[in-house]
Parts: sequence; structure tokens; C-alpha cells
Amino acid sequence: MTGQPAGETPSGEADPRPASYYHLARAVLVREFLLFVRYPANAIGGIVVSLFFFGLLFYGGRMIAGQALTDSLEGIVVGYFLWTLAVGAYSSISNDIGSEVQWGTLERHIMTPFGFAPVALLKGVAKVVRTFLTSAVILAVMLLLTDTTLQLPVVTITVVSGLAIASVLGLGFAAGGVAVLYKRIGNWLNLLQFGFILLISAPAFDLGWTKFLPLAQGSALLQRAMIDGTRLWEFPALDLLVLVGVAVGYVVLGYALFEAATRRARRLGVLGDY
Amino acid sequence: METQERPQTSADAAATDEPPDDAALVVEGLAKRFGSGEAAVTAVDDVSFSVGRGSVVGLLGPNGAGKTTTIKAILGMVLPDAGSVRIDGIDVSEQPSAAYANVDAMLEGARNDYWRLTVRENLRYFATIGGVDPDSVTARHERLLDQLDLTEKADEAVRDLSRGMKQKVSLASVLATDADVVFLDEPTLGLDVESSLTLRRELRRIVDERSLTVVLCSHDMDVIEAVCDRVVIMNDGRVIADDTVERLLSGDGTQRFSVASSDIGEALLARLRERFEVTQVTTDGERTRVEVATDSEGFYDLTDQLRAADVTLDSVNTAQRDLEDVFLGLTDDGEGRR
Repeated sequence: MTGQPAGETPSGEADPRPASYYHLARAVLVREFLLFVRYPANAIGGIVVSLFFFGLLFYGGRMIAGQALTDSLEGIVVGYFLWTLAVGAYSSISNDIGSEVQWGTLERHIMTPFGFAPVALLKGVAKVVRTFLTSAVILAVMLLLTDTTLQLPVVTITVVSGLAIASVLGLGFAAGGVAVLYKRIGNWLNLLQFGFILLISAPAFDLGWTKFLPLAQGSALLQRAMIDGTRLWEFPALDLLVLVGVAVGYVVLGYALFEAATRRARRLGVLGDY
Repeated sequence: METQERPQTSADAAATDEPPDDAALVVEGLAKRFGSGEAAVTAVDDVSFSVGRGSVVGLLGPNGAGKTTTIKAILGMVLPDAGSVRIDGIDVSEQPSAAYANVDAMLEGARNDYWRLTVRENLRYFATIGGVDPDSVTARHERLLDQLDLTEKADEAVRDLSRGMKQKVSLASVLATDADVVFLDEPTLGLDVESSLTLRRELRRIVDERSLTVVLCSHDMDVIEAVCDRVVIMNDGRVIADDTVERLLSGDGTQRFSVASSDIGEALLARLRERFEVTQVTTDGERTRVEVATDSEGFYDLTDQLRAADVTLDSVNTAQRDLEDVFLGLTDDGEGRR
């Protein structure tokens, strides 16, 4: 270019600066925030439905099981809290990928110079942050409804439940990959959410191998944190190591499955078709 | 027909088999088959072409010609069975992130943006995803909004806009990045005549201002003629023509001449058919109209023949070929030229 100041385009505009990961994170989080505050009906609907089912579980269970339910109420509240977190994270990731395919925006995220993995992970984090907010409301109402008291060590709860649902993010990526390949199977994939109940109630401490399943170890540690008041640094290092390993392992495995599914979709020429 | 002065680009030179040194996009031997066995369909068959930096190339072809598969293969959305694609000299299969760093696309039928965000929010989001700090391109975005008549709607959610406006937002979100290689599939689809005219004029202006390299797919020949420097025509998965718009329109130097008279009988018509390429004969009562494809020398010969037969001409007309004629001529008989 000639005849123009350095750092300016021919139209006199400043040269664009490259975006950093900070800009990427900001863009993804701002988008999620805008959708959350501008279209609150989805979030409110999710909270209402979750509380409705908890109400059915609580009042129905108390009529049938009476004292037995009351004795295990704290565990049920913690488990339900984790379940709402897991369902929120899983469905938002798998549904989000399906929506991006439908809207024709997945291609643009795949072509980004950042690479798809960082964008997908940041979008996952944004979804998890949003899910934490709605699940916190659900937890508060559950505690009021049942007149139950739980320990709420915020750092411990955030870290343990965050790592617990990271494994679910991995499942969400895998489900998103299946949706990219086979389309319009969201309802079938959503059935997996009910499997989370089994995973959350798995006896991770009594039946060792179950701790390597998604959610199981996190659920067990979260019960201890919220019911017994155990702090993060009071857990055995091996238990935390398993929690981190399971989280990383399932995210990596889920993303690898997503990559494999999108590669097959590209080979078949169905990526972006809906 | 809208005509505009265009800066000379490498695409204005005659299309050659060798890609120019400054080619922004080089496609070589691209092939893709879907399915297997007898049900296999060849979507793209040994497609090669290149696009010079700063030029606009139109990709034309009937439905099923392989245009969309070609574009998707270039963009990595479809894995080709054979062939290579280089963008800015970088092989897309070896270094996809680097190759696509300055590429963006608006694909046919795709919304391409987020309808629940406002127009301006979309521009900022996709600029960032495209690798640009959105704060550094605020002025560019404002200018883009102005050029595409979107300023008044900039803070409205895309979902609340008309179809034509949505199409413009989709285009704006692609141009909002710092991409210098852009793929546009049917950018004027769904636009009314006025919006289409505005969009093609502004598109050409933006292309020239930013020296964008554009591959444009459209069924709208007016858009192709108005915006493109060169046209690649595909049929049955193969490239059947690759030349500048001007050369395609000038063809082999022949034009169509139409003569009408009440004195043209069957015997004369038979002689004309022997001597010229008669493309059309119509009769209206006593009057017969004959259309002949020939060059200017042939036209003088035609008038000599008619004078010798004592024919009094009622009218003589020349028909100017447009891109649609070229396209139909090439795709109808499947013969092409490169």
C-alpha cells in the first residue's frame, strides 16, 4: 500500500488488531450473558420444571416413605442439585452443537483461527457458569422448601461440582458429535440425562470402580462437603486426583469422539446439513 | 445491466492452466464421490482452478453441478477423495488453522449468524471468532452497516428483521472479520430487486476497497456479471469453462442476427441453412423471421444472399449475448472450453 499512513487501511480506518484468547473468552461469555438476560424465559422455565419435579419427589416421597425420606433428605437435595447442574451442562453443550449445525454457524467456529477446541471449551465453560447460576437458585429454594440446612463452603462446592460436571461436558461433546453425524436425535440423546441419576447415586467409596464413571466421584465428594462440611484441602489427595483425572479424561475422550464424528461427517459430506 | 469500472486484477488476464504466482486460492484435481458401488455419485471430478488475489470469481452451474461440494471441500467441510487446496500458499489439509486464518464464508441456506443477538453484536462476535479484536474494527463495522443500509437496524435483534435484511446481516457478519478470502454462496437470495442492486454495488465497492478475494456462487447472472472478474462454469462435477466475463460474452466472435421478411420461402430457407448456422426460424402470418449465428463477415454474406434472392427486409436486428446465453449454451450441450 502506498499513500496512506502506516496502520491505516485504504479507507482511513485503523488496521485491525488480532484478537487474543482474552477477546475470545469475552466474546463467548458476553454472548452467553446477553442471551441469558435477554431471553430469561428458558432459564426460568428450567428452574420451574426442576423445582416442580423436586416437589413431586419430596412431597410424594414423604407420603410414601415418611421418616426414611427425611433421614436421607440432605443427600437427596445435594444429589438433585448436582443432577440439575449436570443436566444443564450436558443438554446445553449437546443442544448447542445441534443448534450451531442448524444455524450454519458451526462451520464458522470450525474455521476460526483459534481452532475449534478452545472455542468449544470456552462455550462449555460459559454454559457451566450459566448452569451454576440457575442451579444455585434451585438449591436455595430446595433448602427453603425442605427446611434443610447444608454446609455451603463455596470454594469447595465450586471446585468439586465444577470438576464433577466437567466429565458431563465430555459426554455433551460426544452427544454433539453424534448429533452432527445423525441429526435430529436430540430427544434420544436427552434420555441420557436420566442415566445421570444412577451415576450420581453410584457408591463411589464402597464400590471402587464406579468412581471412574462420570459424576460418581464428584457426587460422593460433594455429599461430604455439603453434608459433613469437609473442605477441599481435607479430602485425601488420591480422591481429588481421581476427580481431576475423571474430569480431564472424559472431556478429552468426549472431544475426541466429537472430532471423530465431525471428521466422518466431513467425509460423508453431511457436516452442516440439517 | 449495471456496469462499473473495475481495477485490473490478475483475474482479468486470460485464464491460463498455470495458477498465477499471487493466487490467493489454488484448487488442483479436486474430486469427491459420495456413496459406494453402483449407487456412488461423482459430485466433483478433477476440478482445478485458481483465483488471483483481489479478484472476484463467480462459480456457476446448474443444480447438482458440484458447486456447493466444491466450496465445502475448499473450506474443509467436505473431505475430498483426491486433489489439493491451497489458500495463500498454505495447504488446507496440512495446516487448516493457518490456511483458514483469513477466510470466511456465507453458505447457501445457512443463517450464518445468531438471530437472538443484535446486528452489531453479531458483527462483534464474528469479528472476534474470525481472529480480530472487535474494538479495533468498530469504525469498519459502522461503515459496513452504513454501506449495507443496516445502521438503523444495528441494535435490533436479527430475528426481528425482514428476510432481505437478515441476508444483509449475514453478509455483513462475514465482512466484519479481517478475512481477505471470502466465499459467498447466493448472497442475494431472497432480496428484492432494489436490495439486490444495492448489495451487489456495495459488495463490489467493498471488494475493491479491501482487495478482497471472493468466490461467489449465484444463480443470479446479473450479480455474476456485475460483480465478477472471471467465471468458472461447472457441469456434472467438472469445470467446463473458465474465463473472464468479457471473453465469455464475446465468445468466438459470432453474434446472432435476426432478419424478417415476407419474401423468405422454403427454398431460400434451405439454402440459408446450408450456408449458415440458423439458430431459430419463426413465422408470423406471411412474415418469416430467421436468426443466424455468424460473424460480421458472415453477416455481409447473408445480406448478399438475401439481395440476390430479391428479398425485401422488414427488419434486421442483432441479439447481444448475455451470460445466461453463454451459460445455457455451455451446459446444454455439455461442451466447454478452457
